[in-house]
Amino acid sequence: MVAPIYIIAVALGLAFLLGLLKSSSTNLGSLLMLAGLAFIAFVSGQWLYEFLINGRATEMIFTAGFKPPFSINLRMGMQEALLTTMINAAGLLSGLYLIDTLKKTGINSMTVLLVFVMSLNVIVMTRDIFNLFVFLEISSIATAGLVLLSSKGNAFQAGMKYLIATGIISGLFLIGIIFSYLYAGSLNIDELNAAHIMDIKGGAIAIFIIYVSVILELKPFPANGWGIDVYTAAKPGFSALISSGTATAGLYVAYKLLPLGGETWLPYFTIIGAITFIGSNLMGTRQQNPNRLLGYSSISQVGLLLMILGLSNQLGDNTLFIAFSILISHYAAKAGLFWLSGIVKSQNLEGWAVLRKQPFMLFLFGTFIFALIGFPPFPSFFGKWQLIMELATQENYLWMTLILTGSFIEAIYLFKWLGFAIKLDVPSNIVMKFEWNKYLPVYLMALTLYVIGFYVSPMVEGGAFINYIPLLFVLALFALDFLPVFVKNTISIAGIIYYMVDLFSQLENDLMRQIFAVIFLGGAVLTLMAGYNKKGTRAGFYPMALMMFAGLTGIIEANSMLEFFFSWEIMTAGSYFLIIRGKRSMPHGYSYMLFSIGGAYALLFGFALAYASGLDTTIAALGHITQLTTLAYTLLAVGFMTKTASLGLHIWLPGAHGEAESDVSPMVSAILLKAGVFGLMLLFLYMGTGTEGGDKLLYVLGWVGALTTLVGNLGAVFQEDAKRLLAYSSIGQLGYILFAVSIMTQLGWLAGFTYTINHFMFKAILFLVIGGIVVKLGTHNMYEMGGMIKKMPFSFIAVLISIIVIGGIPPLSGFAGKWLFYHAIIQKGWYFQGAVIFFAGIIAFLYLFKLIHSVFLGQLKDNHRNMKEISPWILIPSYLLIIGIMIFSAFPQKILQPIGEMLSVYFPESLHWEGTKAYTSLGYWDGTTIMIVVMTAFILLLGWLVLMSKKIKKVEQFNIVYAAERPFRPETTHVSYNIYAGYKKAVGFLVTPVVEIFWDSMSALLFDFAGWLRRIYSGNMQNYALHVVLFIVVFYLIALGGL
Amino acid sequence: MEYIILISGFLLVLIGLWGILSQKNLIKIILGFTVFNTGINIVMVTVGYVKGKTAPILDVISPEEALTSIVDPVPQALVLTAIVIGLGVTALMLVYALKLYQDKKTLDINNFKDLKW
Amino acid sequence: MIKKLLIVGLLTGLAFMFYGLLISYNGNETLTGLGSYYAQNGAREVGAANLVSAIVVTYRGLDTLGEVTILFLAAAIIGFVLKLKKDEVVEARPVRETSELLTSASQVIVPVIFLVGVYIFINGHLTPGGGFQGGAVIASGVLLMLLANPTMHISHNIVATIESISGIAFVAIGILGIVLAGGFLDNRLLPLGEFGTLLSAGAIPLIYIFIGLKVGAELSNIIGTISYNQNEKPN
Repeated sequence: MVAPIYIIAVALGLAFLLGLLKSSSTNLGSLLMLAGLAFIAFVSGQWLYEFLINGRATEMIFTAGFKPPFSINLRMGMQEALLTTMINAAGLLSGLYLIDTLKKTGINSMTVLLVFVMSLNVIVMTRDIFNLFVFLEISSIATAGLVLLSSKGNAFQAGMKYLIATGIISGLFLIGIIFSYLYAGSLNIDELNAAHIMDIKGGAIAIFIIYVSVILELKPFPANGWGIDVYTAAKPGFSALISSGTATAGLYVAYKLLPLGGETWLPYFTIIGAITFIGSNLMGTRQQNPNRLLGYSSISQVGLLLMILGLSNQLGDNTLFIAFSILISHYAAKAGLFWLSGIVKSQNLEGWAVLRKQPFMLFLFGTFIFALIGFPPFPSFFGKWQLIMELATQENYLWMTLILTGSFIEAIYLFKWLGFAIKLDVPSNIVMKFEWNKYLPVYLMALTLYVIGFYVSPMVEGGAFINYIPLLFVLALFALDFLPVFVKNTISIAGIIYYMVDLFSQLENDLMRQIFAVIFLGGAVLTLMAGYNKKGTRAGFYPMALMMFAGLTGIIEANSMLEFFFSWEIMTAGSYFLIIRGKRSMPHGYSYMLFSIGGAYALLFGFALAYASGLDTTIAALGHITQLTTLAYTLLAVGFMTKTASLGLHIWLPGAHGEAESDVSPMVSAILLKAGVFGLMLLFLYMGTGTEGGDKLLYVLGWVGALTTLVGNLGAVFQEDAKRLLAYSSIGQLGYILFAVSIMTQLGWLAGFTYTINHFMFKAILFLVIGGIVVKLGTHNMYEMGGMIKKMPFSFIAVLISIIVIGGIPPLSGFAGKWLFYHAIIQKGWYFQGAVIFFAGIIAFLYLFKLIHSVFLGQLKDNHRNMKEISPWILIPSYLLIIGIMIFSAFPQKILQPIGEMLSVYFPESLHWEGTKAYTSLGYWDGTTIMIVVMTAFILLLGWLVLMSKKIKKVEQFNIVYAAERPFRPETTHVSYNIYAGYKKAVGFLVTPVVEIFWDSMSALLFDFAGWLRRIYSGNMQNYALHVVLFIVVFYLIALGGL
Repeated sequence: MEYIILISGFLLVLIGLWGILSQKNLIKIILGFTVFNTGINIVMVTVGYVKGKTAPILDVISPEEALTSIVDPVPQALVLTAIVIGLGVTALMLVYALKLYQDKKTLDINNFKDLKW
Repeated sequence: MIKKLLIVGLLTGLAFMFYGLLISYNGNETLTGLGSYYAQNGAREVGAANLVSAIVVTYRGLDTLGEVTILFLAAAIIGFVLKLKKDEVVEARPVRETSELLTSASQVIVPVIFLVGVYIFINGHLTPGGGFQGGAVIASGVLLMLLANPTMHISHNIVATIESISGIAFVAIGILGIVLAGGFLDNRLLPLGEFGTLLSAGAIPLIYIFIGLKVGAELSNIIGTISYNQNEKPN
């Protein structure tokens, strides 16, 4: 074992030795520096290993041969070993990364870097407060120096700002130290902590000064302009080290000194942390420069961690776990992002699109962004989960809200950035050159995130059961991404089928989950089949699609809320990448993500309240929510409704579904939306009826469902874009489902299930077929189509059948849905809502007619004269689904009867079966008989028509004379263009995008506020010094000044 | 006596801060810094003062009577360190000011606002 | 004007805080805490007559190492900040003739200053003074030389070598403390000697010599670099 003191001795010795080298021997110098950094990394790593594996006891290192408090001592324990290992790893990698810059700048700069990393180690290890001061100063000076590695002129300004601000801070720190020495008689941190000098007035002020200095070193908002500028001006390679190393060390200082003032000071840490977290994230939303954006994000994360420290008395034993998992995510992600920034070398966010030239780097970029936001499987996900759970247990709703709000604001700018990288045009003026010493650190940090995430997951209650197998499958597909579509598609389908078989054996007695398993995985197989008509490798598609399906499977399998939420987020991530693949999908993927994250946080809040109610981690906890019950159910419902795109939360859907790729649209529409339905059903089953808040909520949701249907259907009517029409139609259909399940009777739920199953089948068919046609014809606009019935008869039949289902026309299963639905409404007595729904149902006919008419009927367009039927790979799954529809229509009782029996556990029986007849108190219906009758009639009619067809005289398309000239706007000649202009006059006001306007103005408000607020960052270093003093005075007056 | 020194120490701190916060010339600001640091050093030394005692150097005082005749040596040791640190920081600031001057040919602090927002 | 008022307000706030410290400060009647321990045991344990030196070099030796490091860092940073590009040829700037008085006197006084500096750091464990003070005095000698001859070029190599070797020696003595005595920077690796004499206090005089040399070299280095950099390129 190498004693930790050698970290100091060797690093300093080497630093001094470097001074002996000739200024030209930069190669030798850099080798020595790297050797030094590697050595200290080795020492700390070795200790970490000892603590982790051998369970060694904490070691005290005494200097000068005397015991503390008479001499300075250092401590090496689990925490120190962990943090120094992190710092040294970042230091070593930064050294490697910066090697060229350092060589150019000279040996002196290598010395400074080496000493800088060493000083951070001492800051972590030392137990002497004055020694802490000395090494804090070393790190500050070294930082101000290393900023200058950047050759930009503004680096000096940043360095000067930093020196002035830290000069003031450290001066005051000294006053705090000397007065605490006066009252405690010691400089040893452990003795100071035990001395309780809070009771003396001067002692309290001394503690205040120490605290305010420590906090200011962490760059709290808004007194942090000097810190931000350093992030901006420094070489990204070094900013990475500040963000990962300095922040880590600084936070540990705060943690070390927490006992100094005791619990009375904790709320201040929390408040300042919260202000920093939210304030910095607000600033981040306005940034165009990636380094500055990352600077704000770094500071915000530090704010969050400061909050966690401040809440440590409430988080109890979990504090360290929570803090560590969030810290390590921040550490690795931020270092990785800064390093990436140095590789991309773009001064604006848009330039990051260059990452697309190297998809693997884009993947790492995504990894870092998702890790920062707290997505699974990264450590921050588990940390945030645990944090929110604990806070809820302590009924700390304010902090929960603030943390989630701040995280959401962070997502706003990080996902905008990610979207830019994925979608914008690749800039031609930026070149990414492969240099192993720059790429390797990035790889390693990303790897760290995955490994640590996997490692910490079992530490969370319920985390040990997370099923990683689907994710490993996703990973395997990543590795196989170079293979052609055909192979990957086959592997994916085979994998899903295998998993589905396996899954069914587990779900034997759970019909509801079985149904959704069929929708999710069966749907996956069918929609993936359409992928066979794609050529090439379709890079990145399969891992993402499979990730979404893995998440969907996970929410079915989940036993605990954690597993559910884990899978929910995996699904969200996968679907985001799928959606954003579409050509014009950037804004839509973005808004989908923001709504999803907002919804996920609502869910998280709800889960936390459920957990806090009985410390139960299973999903069954949703059934016994006692804390803020109504709010909890509302939040959970809202969370799920962001996925079902209910009114108010629907604005992401038309774009996201309409612009997605032709086989992605059915995935996200027919399948993904059902995840929200599954969640809602789960929630309602646990919620039950009879609770006062719950019933009110259900009533409101009933209305929301009805209005969603109206708005969705109306939106569809006025669309000219075929896929958007279908997307709006989805909103409407999901409105029916929400309405039906909100009724909370057996009939209502049966209707809900029928609609769910139907929508899955017909929307998959429609999106597959229409999507195929759109690709084939090269346009989304229906007025540019027409007459396809002869060119694409199979498509026509598929669409026709789907439309019959949507319209609820006998004999197909849509009628079953309608029948159940209206019976349920009448039984429940929701007449007004029923009227809205009925009205919306009529509107549905309008858009259905428009769809089928303008695409398939009417005049064939001149440029479509040589069109052929769409690919059989699209038609095969569609026709398989049609077979499904036929079976469901002919034998509804085979499915609905078992569902009814399952539901009778929860609801009083309001429907019973006699053979194929379904009876309610209002009447009966027999699907099979209707089918037989209608089919017989249909076949008779068809036969008659065939017989009569000889007499029909066919009129060729051009068997008329076109009068007048060719119109300037060709769409105006299409019969279905603006076909419902009259209706638009009458009810058009209903489709005013009120909701869009609302959300737009909300975001405008946020951006304006951030823009106004950021004027405090005037760039003037004197003002920044003023902010520091202002911070101190205000904090003092609040904390001790009797204000 | 020690009160007067303590008060003057604090006053120097405030005067130094006034200089840092109000002067426009970078060199004056740095001078403000040195005043600020001096004030802090004075405060530190004063805190270690014991009434009527002498310097902690055992040349005429024998080690046995040290306890009753010297002031606290610890703050003095700390001040020594603090002075050197202050020196290092001041030297750096001056060099930065020099470079800033060479860059913009001015020392007015309002001219160095390249980084903002 | 508003800004000035704000500053005054802020300083008043700070003064309010200092006032709080002031009124709770009663002055010390007796030596307590750490100080009393050092007063009682410092001479015996460390063997330095100057208790401040005992604390600075031994008890709080790690601080001192840090302190040396700060100067070293400052010198290093200034070194690479003011480094001129290789191909940049510096022309000596026009300087005013220095006065006869200054040049002659410097020749006489500089050796004396150096001697005083050396005296101060060698006797650091006995009398007020020590490595930093001595080093600073030596650097003032260098400054005087520069004033007398502004175009003088201080050999960077010599200074850097002194600086590095003393630094390494300091660290090496610290490590020897682990091997031969009780811990890093323990001065008892050498015999404590007779209290109050030059050869006493174990390794303290040795350390102070290296600190003195190092500080002298670092400060001279800083001064020299800044002076050299004044040779501005003609625009």
